Amino acid sequence: MAVPVEDRRRLTTRLSVLQYVITVIFSILAVGFWVLQVVEHAKFEEMAENNHQRTLALRAPRGLVVDRDGKVLVENRNSYSISIDRERTKDLNRTIRLLGAVLGLDEKNVRAIVDRHRREPTYRPIVVVQDATLAQVAAVTARRLDFELPGVVVEEVPTRRYPETMGAHLFGYVGEVSDTQVSDQEGLKSGDIVGQSGIEKVYNAMLMGEDGAKRVVVNSVGREIRTLEEDEPTEGKRLQLTVDYDVQRAIEEGFDQLGFNGAAVVLDPTSGDVLGFTSRPAYDPNAFAAGIDRETWANLTSDDDLPLSDRAIQGRYSPGSTFKMAVATAALQEGVITPDFKVHCTGSATFYGRPFKCWKKGGHGTVDLRHAIEQSCNVYFYTIGNMTGIDKIHKWATLLGLGEKSGIDLPNELVGLVPSPEWKQARFKEKWYAGETVSVSIGQGSVSVTPVSMAVYAATLANGGTRVTPHLLKAVDDGNGWKPVPPPAPRSHAPLDPDKLQSIRDGLFLVVNGAGTGHNAILKGYDVSGKTGTAQVISNQGKERAGKTEKDLRDNGWFVFFAPRDKPEIAGVVLLEHGVHGSNAALVAHHVLDTFFAKKEGRPLPPKPEFKANLVP
Amino acid sequence: MFERRLYYHIDWALVIAVLALCALGVIMINSTTADPTRGTSRMYLTQLYAIVIGLGAMVFMLTLDYRTFTDKSHLIYFGLIALLLYVMFFGQVQMGARRWIPLRVFNLQPSEFAKVGVALVLAKFFGENRGSPSWTDLAIGGVLTAIPLGLIAKEPDLGTAVTLMPIFLAVAYLAGMRMRILGMLLVCTVLAAPIAWKFALKDYQKSRISTFLDPSQDAKGAGYQQIQARITVGSGGLTGKGFKQGTQGQLRFLPVAHNDFIFSVLAEEQGFAGVLVALGLYLFVILRALEAARLAKDRLGAYLVLGVLASFTFQVVYNVTMSAGLAPVKGLTLPLMSYGGSSMIATLAGFGLVLNVRMRRFTN
Repeated sequence: MAVPVEDRRRLTTRLSVLQYVITVIFSILAVGFWVLQVVEHAKFEEMAENNHQRTLALRAPRGLVVDRDGKVLVENRNSYSISIDRERTKDLNRTIRLLGAVLGLDEKNVRAIVDRHRREPTYRPIVVVQDATLAQVAAVTARRLDFELPGVVVEEVPTRRYPETMGAHLFGYVGEVSDTQVSDQEGLKSGDIVGQSGIEKVYNAMLMGEDGAKRVVVNSVGREIRTLEEDEPTEGKRLQLTVDYDVQRAIEEGFDQLGFNGAAVVLDPTSGDVLGFTSRPAYDPNAFAAGIDRETWANLTSDDDLPLSDRAIQGRYSPGSTFKMAVATAALQEGVITPDFKVHCTGSATFYGRPFKCWKKGGHGTVDLRHAIEQSCNVYFYTIGNMTGIDKIHKWATLLGLGEKSGIDLPNELVGLVPSPEWKQARFKEKWYAGETVSVSIGQGSVSVTPVSMAVYAATLANGGTRVTPHLLKAVDDGNGWKPVPPPAPRSHAPLDPDKLQSIRDGLFLVVNGAGTGHNAILKGYDVSGKTGTAQVISNQGKERAGKTEKDLRDNGWFVFFAPRDKPEIAGVVLLEHGVHGSNAALVAHHVLDTFFAKKEGRPLPPKPEFKANLVP
Repeated sequence: MFERRLYYHIDWALVIAVLALCALGVIMINSTTADPTRGTSRMYLTQLYAIVIGLGAMVFMLTLDYRTFTDKSHLIYFGLIALLLYVMFFGQVQMGARRWIPLRVFNLQPSEFAKVGVALVLAKFFGENRGSPSWTDLAIGGVLTAIPLGLIAKEPDLGTAVTLMPIFLAVAYLAGMRMRILGMLLVCTVLAAPIAWKFALKDYQKSRISTFLDPSQDAKGAGYQQIQARITVGSGGLTGKGFKQGTQGQLRFLPVAHNDFIFSVLAEEQGFAGVLVALGLYLFVILRALEAARLAKDRLGAYLVLGVLASFTFQVVYNVTMSAGLAPVKGLTLPLMSYGGSSMIATLAGFGLVLNVRMRRFTN
């Protein structure tokens, strides 16, 4: 079967053709690779890097918050968030479906979360679950290894923790920064966690640290393989508050015992240090720490008791009898009366043709200033108030801190009202009637005060006329040790005559230690001085008209106090909404004072109180 | 049987080049399948075993005169058809295709051996004719190719099926098929393409082709592999990222890196330099084998060499092009380098035949 010459020649030719063709093809391939690997190398190298390198934000922990003794009040814990990285999901719908099933979430909810963030740049992972349970984290990581959930990322994030349910409105809460906050405040970026109320908000700039970043190598399903470089986050500054943990605890225990809504503010009357501060009902700031769920938020915002509002600085209430010290101060300082000025109380008195009742039907008989305060005689104060006039009452009440903002370092403080003819003219375009002064003299009518201003009022009477500015920040540690923050300057000084003031203090001493209504606050050896107030939330006639109603029409109970009488170290106020009587508020004050002095003298702190025996129903 | 003097005519240069490519393949398989997070893989060992078996097959193909094989080619051919039919009904299903016969040690893929079988039967058929093949000859040759092709395409394994076509074309070309007919066949193919598009191709095949033309239209789906392949190759640069240092292959941005995309990984880790070495070796192997065809003492031998070489060359060129993201992604492996026992054994057996033809160029 030898090959014929002719065939052999054709065969050789065709083989040569094939040789050339193949050589050309291989040359073209080589050129192709040269173009990709050498000419366009830079472009592809960048693409490869974008493929496998990712920069992760490392959220800085917020600064710790400690009390005046260094006890931790607010700290951080680590939580896990589960996110979808859209750049690494090949099929977003599938990932949503699988993730929902793995986490035990409704697929619709997961989809809704993803849809909300759809317009954000795709390199930003969408957080589906914040503060995931360990079971959820385990479920995801186990499946990620099986490459079933490409693009699902589990991240560890520092999260705010409030170890004890206390002072919710004082600490406030944190939450994801809103769009308006990002555009209004410098240095904030979308996704940041910022303080949204309380000191978390006021001192947000200090508390927020500086986020770090981490460049990591990830594989095709977004799993971190190793870290390339890490820029550690800087923790926020630590804050020391003026708050005393034990005083705060005592306030909370008192409210827990009574179960009333209300507020309390306790100050150091010489410096304005806030020792304790509460508003009830409260919320759990922990619920916000890792993003509040819709249901909890809806419950908080729709609650008729308004748990989110801070009653201590935003609640405006009729002061009732606690206003009488302001009237007495005005009358004494303006020389209208002396402490020995006496009035005869028969249970009611007539001014401008209208009868005004004292709370005691039979009347108090003849009383001087001290005893008028002790027994809270309305007729006495109708009389001296009427003699003093609204302008002077307004002037001195303001000097004592009422109807003014206290200037406390908390957001959105509201201002109360001490009326004046100018105010009435501006507000209602009406003249002031002298009869209104009579009502104002016992803290009714259009007078309204916030609990924090009442605390300032108590402190001003206690320290002799200096209207201190209540404040919460005591010291700051930026990592180089604690630096004390000087207390803010007092708002004003009332030029009070010491003797005249002392007569008022004597009256307040008698309220607690004599025959007065503040007996519940008595603390042997500490000369507790104070004044109850029981303010109607509705007029007597109104009450009759309303008849039976669901609404709570019980009176509000006040107790303003300081101790000891002659060298006060603590001053404050307790307000119980619908607390029936001011003497109930004095129960809380007693527990606070007992705790304060026990701690100061190193005695064991009093146990949780039992108020039932002394409670006015 | 095996005359001692034949030993001196073995083309050692070709053997060494083939073994060098095998070694390169083992290295790259080792690189891509060692995942530190999942423990070491033994895939490269499996590949080594396949090479050893393949060398055994190569030696076996050398020991007998190639004419013995071509004389028995009809039996081999029918045996293969039987195997393919067996696969069709009893084969093991993996990833949606019925391609394998499970043996105890590994899974046999008969379609790989079909290439050698078709080369043998076509060499025999055209080798017996003199002069340019007639229309009837071409038709018979076409049918002989079409039967296994159809069976393999049915598995479905369109990639492997298509590699049978170059065997027929190359052998027919070498046998003296008129250029006019070749031209007509090409024109027919071009005309048939739109019809095939409409009726014969499945949706996933269509999408592969359309995404090839514009990968970005489906960057996360079918176009993903193509884009990733380009990134893999392009990011390799001149000298590469180094052994096991490739990010694209190691971090699994590129799927089946040890298999279809092994050349991409080579390009990434060894760079353009490595690509030139591998391309050079492949070109050397192909040209050297063509030399064997030229030296063959009879037409039968030349046709046999070219039949074996045709599917090999087609696969190399297509796979390398695809590895650079310059051709639609298709399940075509790179002979001698890609992971796969059947392919390795069949390919080495094929080279056994090539060596056989060259070695026996002086015998009668």
